[in-house]
Amino acid sequence: MAIHTPHSASDALIGAAADKNDPAMKTAKMPIGIPGFTLHEEERSVPVSEPPVWPVNKDLSCVGRPQERWDGKAKVTGRARFTADVQLPGMLYARFLNSTVPHAKIISIDTSEAGSHPGVKSVHVIEKLLGSAVLRDPSLEQNRYPVVRYVGQPIAAVAATTPHAAEEAAAKIKVKYESMPFVVDQDMAREPNAALVFPGAADEAGTAGGGGSASDTLQSGNIHGPAITRQGDAEQGFKEADVIVDARYTTQVQTHCALETHGVVADWKPDLLTVYASTQGTASVREELAAYFQLPVSKIRVITEFVGGGFGAKFGAGNHGVVAASLSRTAGMPVRLMLDRAEEHVSSGNRPSSDQRLRIGAKKDGTLTAIQLISFGTAGCGTGAGCAGPAQNLYKCATLHVEENDVFINAGPASAFRAPGHPQGVFALEQSIDELAARLNIEPLDLRDRIDENPARRVERQLVRESALWKSRNQIPNADRGVIKRGIGFAQGVWYRNVSMNSAAEVRVHKDGSVEVLSAVQDIGTGIKTVLAQIVAEQFGMPPASVEVKIGDTNYPVGPESGGSTTTASITPAARDAAWQAAQKFLATVAPALGVKPDDLTLSDGMVRSASSKFQPIAFRSAAAKMDIDQVSAQARRVPDYAPKKYDTIGGVDVAEVAVDTETGRIHVKHVLAVHDCGRPMNPGQLVSQINGGVIQGISYTLFENRLLDPDYGIMVNSDLDKYKIAGSYEIPKIEVQLTESYIGQSSTDASGIGEPGGIIATPAAIANAFYNATRIRIRQLPMTPDVVLAALNQPQPSMESL
Amino acid sequence: MSEHQPPHKELPEAPSNTTTKGITRRGFLKGAGITAAGTALLDGVQGLEQQAHAAVPGDVKEYGPEPFLVTLHINGKEQALHIEPRTTLAEALRLGLNMTGTKVSCDRGVCSSCTVWLDKMPVNSCMTLAIDAIGRQITTIEGVSADEHLQPLQAAFVHHDAVQCGFCTPGMVMSCAALLEKNPHPTEADVRLAVSGNLCRCGTYPKVFAATLDAAGQLATKA
Amino acid sequence: MNSFTLADCSTIEAALLQLKNGATVKAGGVDLLDRMKNGTDTPARLVSIRNISALHGVQATPEGLTIGALTTLAEISEDPTIRAQYTILSDASGCTATPHIRNMATIGGNVLQQLQCWYFRSAQFQCIRKGKEICFAFSGLNQYHAIMDYGGCPAVAPSSTAVALLALNASVELASHARRKRTVAIKDFYVQPDANPHRFNIKADDELLTAIHIPKPAPGTRSAYQKYGEKESHDWAIADAGILLEMDGDICRHAVVTMGAASPVVRRSPEAEAALNGKPINRDTARAAGLASMTGAMPLSMNAYKVQLFPIAIYRTILLAAGQMKRDHGAAGEP
Repeated sequence: MAIHTPHSASDALIGAAADKNDPAMKTAKMPIGIPGFTLHEEERSVPVSEPPVWPVNKDLSCVGRPQERWDGKAKVTGRARFTADVQLPGMLYARFLNSTVPHAKIISIDTSEAGSHPGVKSVHVIEKLLGSAVLRDPSLEQNRYPVVRYVGQPIAAVAATTPHAAEEAAAKIKVKYESMPFVVDQDMAREPNAALVFPGAADEAGTAGGGGSASDTLQSGNIHGPAITRQGDAEQGFKEADVIVDARYTTQVQTHCALETHGVVADWKPDLLTVYASTQGTASVREELAAYFQLPVSKIRVITEFVGGGFGAKFGAGNHGVVAASLSRTAGMPVRLMLDRAEEHVSSGNRPSSDQRLRIGAKKDGTLTAIQLISFGTAGCGTGAGCAGPAQNLYKCATLHVEENDVFINAGPASAFRAPGHPQGVFALEQSIDELAARLNIEPLDLRDRIDENPARRVERQLVRESALWKSRNQIPNADRGVIKRGIGFAQGVWYRNVSMNSAAEVRVHKDGSVEVLSAVQDIGTGIKTVLAQIVAEQFGMPPASVEVKIGDTNYPVGPESGGSTTTASITPAARDAAWQAAQKFLATVAPALGVKPDDLTLSDGMVRSASSKFQPIAFRSAAAKMDIDQVSAQARRVPDYAPKKYDTIGGVDVAEVAVDTETGRIHVKHVLAVHDCGRPMNPGQLVSQINGGVIQGISYTLFENRLLDPDYGIMVNSDLDKYKIAGSYEIPKIEVQLTESYIGQSSTDASGIGEPGGIIATPAAIANAFYNATRIRIRQLPMTPDVVLAALNQPQPSMESL
Repeated sequence: MSEHQPPHKELPEAPSNTTTKGITRRGFLKGAGITAAGTALLDGVQGLEQQAHAAVPGDVKEYGPEPFLVTLHINGKEQALHIEPRTTLAEALRLGLNMTGTKVSCDRGVCSSCTVWLDKMPVNSCMTLAIDAIGRQITTIEGVSADEHLQPLQAAFVHHDAVQCGFCTPGMVMSCAALLEKNPHPTEADVRLAVSGNLCRCGTYPKVFAATLDAAGQLATKA
Repeated sequence: MNSFTLADCSTIEAALLQLKNGATVKAGGVDLLDRMKNGTDTPARLVSIRNISALHGVQATPEGLTIGALTTLAEISEDPTIRAQYTILSDASGCTATPHIRNMATIGGNVLQQLQCWYFRSAQFQCIRKGKEICFAFSGLNQYHAIMDYGGCPAVAPSSTAVALLALNASVELASHARRKRTVAIKDFYVQPDANPHRFNIKADDELLTAIHIPKPAPGTRSAYQKYGEKESHDWAIADAGILLEMDGDICRHAVVTMGAASPVVRRSPEAEAALNGKPINRDTARAAGLASMTGAMPLSMNAYKVQLFPIAIYRTILLAAGQMKRDHGAAGEP
């Protein structure tokens, strides 16, 4: 592979022959595969405007190398302003009044006392509720106000001059409810005589982060489904199996717990609605506001400079967004509406539960003959509990039968949560596969080698085999005789290489030599700001810290949402293309003043250089001073993947080491090894941080978290961060991350995503498999709290044959 | 932003059910846990109320319920602002003084995003009444580094990428900085203990440990 | 939070004069602010005792130790005398909540802390403790609730320091303006729910808890406290054990076994103590004591696991106190 040459205006022609069939395309030779294992070169047909192919990372100067977070300084000094910190002159504070009953028709809402509370400037009553599923036949429920379907559903809001005044005023809103029967237990909700959450079939649109279901799905009582996927004849496949593994798995509802709650500051002015939003999608907020208020998108501006976590829940304007905007319009002042922690737990989304019956049939040599998954899960009064992705996409299997069902209960609607459906599905699948390996007497990694075609995971499994951690594993489960039993378990996951074409960036070069990159994409903590700086820096041959990055504002070119692990894959090629084009324009602009042809010029190490020996290299800034215009810029949108459908998954493998205290039932995760691929790693440090985060959320989901609803009143009893338990500093194991560079030749940066595949998908299953390795007992439910573990350990030990 | 912002201009308005003397009869009774039926027993409660607001002995300072002016000593400077008795230190900083580096996330003293120092001691500002900060030396994240210059701990946080979304970061920095003040040679166990009250959902913990130990190493070398 | 007046007192007498007509004492304010933010408590008037320096500090006396009510949990957990001679108390203080809370929370406030039952802490549930007739935990979510002595309210005793103080046979000093100062043993201080569900302790509304008195343990006494949660970094106890052993060489002359998370009021286990009194401390006697502690346990629908977990907490803490086992990795507070 050629060593990367500094940027040159003529690179478009060097080593790239124009495609004979289509003059708009050219052939590019790209690195493909995993360095050290499968690296080779392949040809791709790419648009002629695309920049020269980048070599593998070791031959780049900035991209792929450690680079400090671009906004790290602002964050460690407290200068970073999140939506919760935005203060505008005259800003009012808003507060919701939420329902106290789980299921009711609202007869009347009296806001008169609230409205006359001192300091109150506007009041809003919700007549159109966002987020829940919606009846296919709205005539079944005719009422001025939305039906209350869960305790905590927002009903109305006030905006006042102080938060205390808003709190006091909201408490004065009087609501008359006509209570209806409700159900919050998922199993009870499936009973034929269960209280109905909806009087008829109801559907919810999917969000950018996932979820939703087709609008012709069957519904019987509270069971919305099944959504059926079939491939071949699974029953026949089971008949052909030598061994069948059949088990039931259950997982709990999990809430996102981003440290910054959902919220906005809405400033409704006659000509422009400006909304500062804690969001993963500036465009999604804008669109939903436009639709709700029937405004042109051009009259709405969304600004998101910093976001205190999202994890999938922060798409769209949400009820808080449309209500804050309404309050602002009425009051004529900006309004801040941030959810409090209890509201955040209850109404802003969650990961659905799962109740999965998984059957896998296999031949003696491990070949899978059939996979059948029947799943039920609750997304509250929403939909999106499907978890069949792993069963469908992780392993090669001749036949497949999947039925996914949503079960409505009177609880807050789910929203996409970091790899929707996948931690649940992998928790079941990877345990059953491990069980299959034991039954067939095939080593767990060897079995995966036989049934998993993905080339990147094959390499990752090899790296696991060579790791000290895996080498220390006892092949025979339950090897430790003492009270504390150690175990090591393996699991792998799959995610999808989705790309948003809603991705564009602009790069501007100024006459003073400063360079900036602009896009409406937002950084939710993943570090895309830094990556954009690195890309421009690589292209211009300047230090990343000198690149100005401006993102998170819909005034800038449209940016993708930060969900589905799509951000890096989507925006980086657009940014690189814009940088490349801006650099070309810049060189063309200054070349005459420098007395050379633009084709001869290159940019590197902060200098403008020429192939011609007559030309003395000149500092970039000095060259820029010779621009005959103050600013040169280029905007580029993402071009489609070069070879779509090829390499459409990303994934990784995780190994967990646990110490099980068999007397207390406490599981201590000591060590996790995470080996993951994400295309071209753009910033290794930030990638490791993402994977750490996924692993830690995975541990937390496995051992502690549970959204608990009182069965008699439907109230979430742990709507805080005290009794809703997330991992803290003592729960953190040693986390070892290996990034597998995996070039797939899809774009000018060839980067993929990591947010979802990295850690959260497979860590729970790895812990469960480690538990089995430690004790020879399988726990097929989450969370694995001490009561669950002790109950499992108390069971009479199954005989060896049935394992 | 600097900590020299003038106090928030707008006075928080007193709730409507207050008299100029203080709490109304209704509010008074509510706080006393007396039901409507019990009011008959308290003829003259109005009189009692007036008594409570008569001249008090010198060793009692009366506050509120209306807003009043206080001076808080923050990051080495005197800051004047209006607060109510119910104003938490976090609210005083964030809303009263526009010092938003200190975050509020759980508002119950569990996540420690709101960590500030009182006399160098890390506390949860969301669970501290602003009144209780009078006369104490308050240090916030804005006071850790002057202007553009990062302290070694902050630089280490950036260098090790102990920062993701950044919302827990001020609290983490305050907790770790307090540790290093007290114990310049901490072990990883000491760091875990120091941040055992700081919640992070993005998963910065491993790098917070590494950054703090690195900063300690640096400080040791300098000393 | 509701609007209130606050009387900031600098002397005990001034504070006592303020304790009338429903005025509520505020020390560290940690528990109080939680309840006020939840809306379960709406006091119109707070009496702040934070600045009463006379209530602060640890003093060795000929009888033992006097700890001012305002002494923080951090100070207690780090006090060298308490660590050495009243270890059970420094253990309990040191594993309560988080370092940030321990810097503000006072021993008086911790002893007076109200129930952590989620029904009790929610303004939406009006339970037997709030004057109604019903308890929601029995038929509801009770995995963290009591397994013995619960009567009509199965919330568990929330204070780890109270578990330690019970084992130390400590007393609380209560002062009031109208009556004489009185000293009440911890074992007599808390009120069983069936005796009176509306009171958690016998402190009158016009009394101030001013100090804790702890008699000096006999020479050769060893003690320890461990708390087991689901998490190690800040969690409430699902099982805990306070152990105090008066040793005569290898023989335990007198053992005290206390628990918090088993019952609404901190309790001793005479059955566990009987398994140790007059015996050597070893794995066998420690385990026997652990099992004996569950005599009379009547778990609820979701907390039978506590009957299995408590014996473990107790036997390990006995061995820890006796110097035969290291602090349990799984017990909160120390990695």
